[in-house]
Amino acid sequence: MTYCLHILICLCLIVIQTTVMPYMPLFERFYDLLSPFVIYLSIFRSVRESMVIIFIFGFFMDIISGGPFGLYITAYIWLFIGVRWAITFLHVRDNLLLPFVVAAGVLMENAIFIGITAMFERSSRVSEAMVSTIIVQVLWAIFTGPLFLMFFNYSHRRWDRWNKEIFAKKD
Amino acid sequence: MIIGVIVLIAVNIILLSVFNRRYISYYRPGRIAISLIAPFQKASTSSIRFVRDIWRHYFFMVNVAKENDNYKKALNKAFENNIQLKELTLSNARLRNLLDFKRTITDQVLSAQVIGKDPSPWFKTVIVDKGKNDGIETGMAVVVPKGIAGQVTDVSANYSKVLLIIDHNSSVDALVQNDRARGIIKGGAAGQCLFKYVLRKHDIELGDIVVSSGLDGVFPKGLAVGYVSAIVKPKSGIFQEVAVTPYVDFEKLEEVLIVMNPKKKEFEPQQ
Repeated sequence: MTYCLHILICLCLIVIQTTVMPYMPLFERFYDLLSPFVIYLSIFRSVRESMVIIFIFGFFMDIISGGPFGLYITAYIWLFIGVRWAITFLHVRDNLLLPFVVAAGVLMENAIFIGITAMFERSSRVSEAMVSTIIVQVLWAIFTGPLFLMFFNYSHRRWDRWNKEIFAKKD
Repeated sequence: MIIGVIVLIAVNIILLSVFNRRYISYYRPGRIAISLIAPFQKASTSSIRFVRDIWRHYFFMVNVAKENDNYKKALNKAFENNIQLKELTLSNARLRNLLDFKRTITDQVLSAQVIGKDPSPWFKTVIVDKGKNDGIETGMAVVVPKGIAGQVTDVSANYSKVLLIIDHNSSVDALVQNDRARGIIKGGAAGQCLFKYVLRKHDIELGDIVVSSGLDGVFPKGLAVGYVSAIVKPKSGIFQEVAVTPYVDFEKLEEVLIVMNPKKKEFEPQQ
């Protein structure tokens, strides 16, 4: 049942990111909405549960995006590994650290994107527009990232409670 | 642990290289993925447009909005005609002595709606609501009245992915309308295009119109691409650096036309 919630959330995030946000000038350079979800999975959920979702939705993102195939799966897996590694010595569940964790995650994802794109196309250069896009995304991540994490956590707890109630009634 | 990470990175890079050469979405899983996501995108886009249209046409100056829409359509048509006429005049002058005139533009087009945009700001693709069932094939040209928009790169049963000309993976064989200087239009930064491999000897001016040459076998000849917005002539080297601003506003791309090429004759293998 938890997978259903994961799939529902990811699907909503993809649809919002590809259909709603491009029409809002304010969110033109917003970060990838699935990256806070991957960060949430790596902090609060098990490895097995997270990896299934990361592979499925990384694949979906790779299909609808124009980048080289495997780019999103790669970015999400390294983001997951990075955050899992960070929680071994940092108390990232702390509300004060959350904005910086999300910002670091967004920065890491962009670095992977640019690195892989440069690897396949040697003539590509880092332009001013690219730098400003990354700065805007990181700022967005600092201010809105923790809200996303809190929302994901809250919806999961509600979902689990709701499930328990339903199964208790059945018993 | 460090060795493990290095091995993981190496495996990752190798897999990416392999998949980048053999694009996976031509296969079944890719088509299924697009078919699963696209209906949700279509529903969401339709809802947004429905609400927006109600606001524009019924609550916010009904007549003015409608009139404006008509004027926009007329202006687009006139703009397209103007470019085509200019191109025809120049072609006529050059080909006056030739008796054999070949039509290069196919007129059969299919309109499609943009239902989703690329999730990443680094790549420029859109998903449209027409696919294999409508006769769409990979490689077909995608245009709008103002000019070239892109090329179909991936097709599922009812949806297709279009690579826009502002993506750095896109290439269009083009020429400057007045000077006939030839080059390749490639996607650049911030919605601009780069006109590459243009020889230094050509005197290109700011504002010159760039049109498709038709030599790439994808885009019909004479379609507007954009206008020259910057020129850098280096003191040495064979080529000059030219920036082109596309006529198409890719941020507001909602409907496109897919050029349906007539079926090419396949060569029979010699026995």
